[in-house]
Amino acid sequence: MTMSEVVPETTTAESTVDETPRPARTTWRTFRREPLGISALVVLVLLVVMAIAAPLLAHYPTGYGDVVLAPPSGAHWFGTDSLGLDVYAEVVWGAQQSLLVAAASSLIAIVFGTLLAVVGAYFRRIDAVISVVVDLFLSLPILPLMIMVAALVGPSTMTIILVIAAFSWPEVTRVVRSQALSVVRLPYVDAARLMTSSPVWIITRHVIPAVSPLILVSVVITSSRAVLTAASLAFLGLGDPNAWSWGRILYEAQQAGAMSTAWWLPLFPSLAIFLLVLASTLLSTTYNDARNRKRSRV
Amino acid sequence: MFRPRTALAGAAAVAVLFTAACAPSGPPAGESAVSDATLTIATTTDVVNYNPLIGNSRSDYWITNLMYPHLLSIQPDGSKGPELAEKWGYVNDTTGFYEIKPGLTWSDGQPLTAKDVAYTLNAVKKDKPAGTLYGQLANFDSATAVSDTRVEVKLSHPDASLIPEVGFWGNVVPQHVFEPAGSVAKFANDGSKGGWVSAGPYVLTSVQRGQSYTMKRVDNYPLVPGGKGKAAEVVYRVYPDVNTEILALKNGDVDVIANSLPPAQVKQLQSTPDIKVAEVPGLGYSHMTYNMTKPDLAKKDVRLALAHAVDYDAIRRVVLQGQAVSTGSSQLMPVLSAYYDKSVTEYEYNPDLSRQLLTQAGYKPDGNGNFPLSFRLIYSLQDPVTTQWATIVKDGAAKAGVTIQLQGIERNTYLAMTDKGDFDIYAGNFAIMDDPATNMSLAYLPGGAINYSYVDDPALNALIDKARVTFQQPDQIPIMRDAAKLVRDNVYDNIMYTQNLYVAYRSAWSGFAVKPSELLSIVNPVSVASATKAG
Repeated sequence: MTMSEVVPETTTAESTVDETPRPARTTWRTFRREPLGISALVVLVLLVVMAIAAPLLAHYPTGYGDVVLAPPSGAHWFGTDSLGLDVYAEVVWGAQQSLLVAAASSLIAIVFGTLLAVVGAYFRRIDAVISVVVDLFLSLPILPLMIMVAALVGPSTMTIILVIAAFSWPEVTRVVRSQALSVVRLPYVDAARLMTSSPVWIITRHVIPAVSPLILVSVVITSSRAVLTAASLAFLGLGDPNAWSWGRILYEAQQAGAMSTAWWLPLFPSLAIFLLVLASTLLSTTYNDARNRKRSRV
Repeated sequence: MFRPRTALAGAAAVAVLFTAACAPSGPPAGESAVSDATLTIATTTDVVNYNPLIGNSRSDYWITNLMYPHLLSIQPDGSKGPELAEKWGYVNDTTGFYEIKPGLTWSDGQPLTAKDVAYTLNAVKKDKPAGTLYGQLANFDSATAVSDTRVEVKLSHPDASLIPEVGFWGNVVPQHVFEPAGSVAKFANDGSKGGWVSAGPYVLTSVQRGQSYTMKRVDNYPLVPGGKGKAAEVVYRVYPDVNTEILALKNGDVDVIANSLPPAQVKQLQSTPDIKVAEVPGLGYSHMTYNMTKPDLAKKDVRLALAHAVDYDAIRRVVLQGQAVSTGSSQLMPVLSAYYDKSVTEYEYNPDLSRQLLTQAGYKPDGNGNFPLSFRLIYSLQDPVTTQWATIVKDGAAKAGVTIQLQGIERNTYLAMTDKGDFDIYAGNFAIMDDPATNMSLAYLPGGAINYSYVDDPALNALIDKARVTFQQPDQIPIMRDAAKLVRDNVYDNIMYTQNLYVAYRSAWSGFAVKPSELLSIVNPVSVASATKAG
């Protein structure tokens, strides 16, 4: 699913400014009536808690174990890998790395992408340049480029975060810009221009708040995509070899030739990735619908 | 030794020397009937180069080996046996010779004579292709065909390893095809001008890049009983991933997996119906070198501390599933039985000793017990075994208070970084390191092609130089042992194990002739030509 599929005609500018005084509460009321959305939120919260509480849930997988490629059992809930390490511990600690990459790269992409979007929407003269750059980036074959950059620079957490962020912001810019363009044309923004000559004030006080629901959706979608991308890079051996991630578990299973013989190795990290991406998508869709009740009733 | 691109190589049976001729290690007796069967072999990579003089991938080696014969073959202990050459040796210190079998022909009907051999050697010396053979020709001056079957080789300096090593590593190419094409360093030999010409058991006839390489049987291959290969056709099929290869073998889509199996898969495949697993003796080693141009690693105590912080037993037991043997931290591996020195023992895994050594070297640990030492260890991502044990090395060093940052890199970048010395610690392996004198000169002499520790020890240099001109093995052995001890005691290299490899094939096939290393294993020309299918 692409972001543009999630957000079209979502939070119109009118809904932002004409809503009742407590739109957030209204949204939440609608949202919590959606079991899928609530389930997605619960799953995401659980994953975040798992990442934060990893030291309490499992010992950091390090060194080696004596029983290699053991299937799931009472001693090893998710089995062991080709070094005899506990896959459950790897999945738990992998959540930390995967969510860190997701959060950091999407944060960078959102900040940068939103900034360019609102600046472009407000200052129409530079909008054309920004649009061309965005179109240029969106037409690039992203995964091969990411692979090339990560391979040349060398795999590390910082590299992965920056590489993903560098190729994620254009999507954010495109989506937020389309919304910001309609916001800057609204009468209340014109009125704001009469009150101050500071574009920074108008952008931060009026434009960004008006597009903030869209940003929130973008954060969730960009994060889930970042997890997928990070897993892809790690599966290709371009993840950080010094930290466990879900992609690294898959990569090591592939390297050990164990994908077909030790089903538990690809299964559990894949499930974790699947759950995170599914929950993120459902959360953003439900939130979107809750913000735009008319659409949700269609 | 073989390592893609820089593969230079060990040399051999220095024992041989003034004349040697051995009985061929032929394929198993019987099963000489030819058939219409097709032998399908799985490989993980496409052919990069069809010119055997510059080939650099496993698939290059396997496929061109079926067309361009070597003068000599190799035994599990590194000694050389006949292949194209029946006799070889030295006339004097600076003149060597090969005598090849008479009556050989290329697949286009042209005779294969000593002129082809002399042309190949002279062309490689002149054009300097970036392959294994050129690395062996440092002391080579020229080759002359003195008859249709005898080649004489002039050496610029005495070199006891040159004749056996060149004979083993060099493929013979057809002069009538390669000479008109110009430089052998640039000739792609991609079959675009009328296909390929072979003096092996099969000739490449069709290529579907990314899919398969089809080779047809050649009628005249006298190295196997019956004079031709048993299977009518050999097809190399490309599966980019070892997991898919294993599934294809189980499903019967392929008959052989050419790549060695991941250690953790051996037991599982051994108990799989219709699959057989063959053990391939290792003739190389895995090692780490410490870049002595770095100030910390220039200190012997630091290198020794790092060497004592590696749990070698765990690496062999867990990562390699017991399919490897300790070399006693020496280049003189147990498989080189004549050279092996039991008195040289492996570095003990003892992080406490490492800490003592570092303290002795003047380093002080912080409150967490960590020394102010951090090293970057590089390894190839295409090497799954090293990728796995690198984490064990890192964990061991951490116990000694030393930080190791792992840097797994795509193979070509890894090779480039290795050549530039862009690393603190290098981890890698060589498939065949058969001749101690040659290997040590490449690994430890200043400017050596694989001198990744950048060592320059006059005492070691003198020993290696002496060994290179010592033609009798009994005289050379003590020199090599002294050199290996010097390397071990000063941690100029950290040689960790020799891996014995395993390859899998469908049990309907038999007659394979196993040779050491993944390069030869059961896909060497004689083995492929001898394989027969039941029923």
